[in-house]
Amino acid sequence: MAEITVFTAKKIHTMNPSLPHASAVAVRDGRIIEVGSLETLKPWLDQHAHHIDNRFADHVIMPGFIDPHLHPTLGAILLTCPFITAMEWRLPDRICPAVTSHEAYVTRLAEIEAEFAGTDDILVTWGFHRIWHGDVNRAVLNAISTTRPIFVWQRSFHEIIANDAGIEWLGVARADLERHPQIDLSTGRFFETGMAVAAQSLNTVLMEPVRFRRGLELVKQAVHLGGHTTIGELAYPLLDDAREWALLSDTLERDDVPFRMKITPRALGRGKFEGNASEDVERIKGFKGRDSHRLFFGNSVKLFTDGGFFAELMQMMDPGFIDGHHGEWLMAPEQFEKHARAFWLEGKQIHVHCTGDMGVELALDTLEKLQAEKPRFNHRFTIEHFGVSNPEQVRRIADLGAIVSANVYYLHELGEAYWQKSIGFERASQMARVGSLERAGVTFALHSDFTMAPALPLNSAWVAVNRIAESGAVLCAEECVSLDAAMRAITIDAAYVLAMENEIGSIRAGKKADFTILEQDPWDVPLEKLRDIPIWGTVFEGTPFPHSK
Amino acid sequence: MSERIPITLLSGYLGSGKTTIVNHLLRAEKNLRLAVLVNDFGAVNIDADLIENSDATSVELTNGCVCCSIGDDLGAALSAQRERTPPPDAILLEASGVSEPARIARLAGHWPGFTLDAIIVAADGETVRQRAGDKFVSHLVQSQLRCADIIALTKTDLISSQASLHVQAWLRTVSPAPVVMAPDGAVPPELAFSVNSGQRMAGAQPEDGQHPAFATFTWTPSHPVDIARLHAVLGNLHEDIHRVKGQLVDARTGTPVLVQKVGQRCAITNASEAEQFCLVMISVDLQMDFKRVAADLDACAVAPG
Repeated sequence: MAEITVFTAKKIHTMNPSLPHASAVAVRDGRIIEVGSLETLKPWLDQHAHHIDNRFADHVIMPGFIDPHLHPTLGAILLTCPFITAMEWRLPDRICPAVTSHEAYVTRLAEIEAEFAGTDDILVTWGFHRIWHGDVNRAVLNAISTTRPIFVWQRSFHEIIANDAGIEWLGVARADLERHPQIDLSTGRFFETGMAVAAQSLNTVLMEPVRFRRGLELVKQAVHLGGHTTIGELAYPLLDDAREWALLSDTLERDDVPFRMKITPRALGRGKFEGNASEDVERIKGFKGRDSHRLFFGNSVKLFTDGGFFAELMQMMDPGFIDGHHGEWLMAPEQFEKHARAFWLEGKQIHVHCTGDMGVELALDTLEKLQAEKPRFNHRFTIEHFGVSNPEQVRRIADLGAIVSANVYYLHELGEAYWQKSIGFERASQMARVGSLERAGVTFALHSDFTMAPALPLNSAWVAVNRIAESGAVLCAEECVSLDAAMRAITIDAAYVLAMENEIGSIRAGKKADFTILEQDPWDVPLEKLRDIPIWGTVFEGTPFPHSK
Repeated sequence: MSERIPITLLSGYLGSGKTTIVNHLLRAEKNLRLAVLVNDFGAVNIDADLIENSDATSVELTNGCVCCSIGDDLGAALSAQRERTPPPDAILLEASGVSEPARIARLAGHWPGFTLDAIIVAADGETVRQRAGDKFVSHLVQSQLRCADIIALTKTDLISSQASLHVQAWLRTVSPAPVVMAPDGAVPPELAFSVNSGQRMAGAQPEDGQHPAFATFTWTPSHPVDIARLHAVLGNLHEDIHRVKGQLVDARTGTPVLVQKVGQRCAITNASEAEQFCLVMISVDLQMDFKRVAADLDACAVAPG
């Protein structure tokens, strides 16, 4: 048995309400022996070899942060691209400052292009948004380069703008581009189904193995940067199992990786809308036995109701969208019910992607049926994302024993845009209705769904307690949550959503020694400064992992 | 550039009988090399005696057709078909039950190397009305019906003829598309695929002891035609004339044009060169009287002078 290490700290927030604060925590073999003070730890220390580690004497220790829903593979594709974004993005290898005007956008893009000098790489940049960056078109991009293919990828992934060199580089017959109703060669715009034509060529670069591996390395660093010690991959696999498993285990199952990843498989393969539920139950049983130290499956599956929130494809109940368009179902509702039933009867924890209020409604109608057919307790049926909902649904969530994992960042980035352009003020200002969840006593976690939001738990908590939108305005203060609830939502309640609360999420005897080390105390700083608290680094299973300076 | 491969999109909500139609078309189509793209070919249950070979993602059929699963990327699946030697004559694309056919048609019909032929939407005679009022899918089901070129009404053998008439009348209020009866998924391939329709329809004879499934009529103009007048005639065509295809000469320019109409959707585009100038029409109404159409069309021909 190894020696006990005792970490002392200015303050330890245990997130265990029975002993909320402490000043020392004893750790051995990656687990917590006891938390308290040097005084209360004495019986252990008198009998066992130990040493006191005072490196955190000026720091605040919290349980390791948990993001129960992000997608490393998606992040790996994006992080190898330069970002030019309207919001600031703090990434492991760079800080992307907020770029909020057309002129600033063009200047920044020209700078990036200059950095590519001497290579013949294509330039794919992500983050463009017309609301802030105005009309970035083919002519604007040609003025930056006539020789290097430049592709500007829109924030919501639904549009790409290319220069002449880029259009040429795609290698698609010009006649085929010209006749396409969703490709406009004069402005260089490829949108929706037209974007798929461009993406086909771009994927050969973005998914190229060496580049992809570099992207995964950056994701690894981004997860550490946010202060996470556990993440949930909530829809495995993104592409194909064999290739992805090899890449993930090769990149993440290493001694220098300071986090673990719980994997929730998709109930249906990607791109499948129909399928045989009992075959899918068997397919998912096949993941059993694959677990390694950091990568493991549990008892959970992922299902989907409606479309993407950034893409405005959520299913909305009346009165729908201002422009009259309609959302999408990612599975036929009957098929959703069949699959949900099959996994419900297997005793699985079901996570359901729901973005619009009609998506939530389908999930709850289905859960209600299943509860009538075979009542279950502690089933942890989880509503994921929780974009638009109504107060009555919150009550039903509570009645049916469901829980929520919310992407509250929607409110920050999209609250005002959706107020003006999509669904109006009333419903847009109330998106991510987390205050109601707290009042109804519904357990909820906060997630990033990275790269839908930055993988920064303190940033998510900051949105949840302040509801500050992009312009700085507060949207629907009634739906703010308490600081305690927000901090639980990135620690112990996130652990509960992942069904790992007996192992992680709080600092108490017997749990994994996972800590996030903060330079300031979240309960001491003004709420609007919560996201600015510097993170020293983490402790993963007893081993400190400082952020590189 | 080689010819674009035409795509027939088969849409319809979950359980509307799409798979039965796919199986019927695979059996009934004798002359074309088809590629059938489906979300999951396991669910198609292709007749065993048709199957030559199969692996994880495709099934090869004895008649030279192939059935492939789309996987997660329709564009990639289409491009793969284009790479086959020789490429298929036509694609039958079975859309998922929850997809908006208009969107799939935009994606597939404009994918490099492909063009949209027709959108056939299957409607389950038993349940389509109820689904069109459902809390979660009413919009989707109605929207699918609205963007059909042709609606194939399935499972009519399971309902009374009275009920069938009611559902047809109701469909007319929802969608401008003509409705063809397709119990057992029996959509004639000539309706689904326009490739070589001239030769195929003109030469199509019912096999011994079988009734023809459709009526055809070929119109050969005496002179080049006035395109504006032709548009007007085709726009007012009897709704049970389900397809029109052929090449004519534009009286104004003297150059050949390609005429294609399926359901209510009509396109007249420039053609490279023509082998023969005529229009072939097809109707599943065996009693269709083409005489009036012929007279209207004759009035489009412009005598030189």
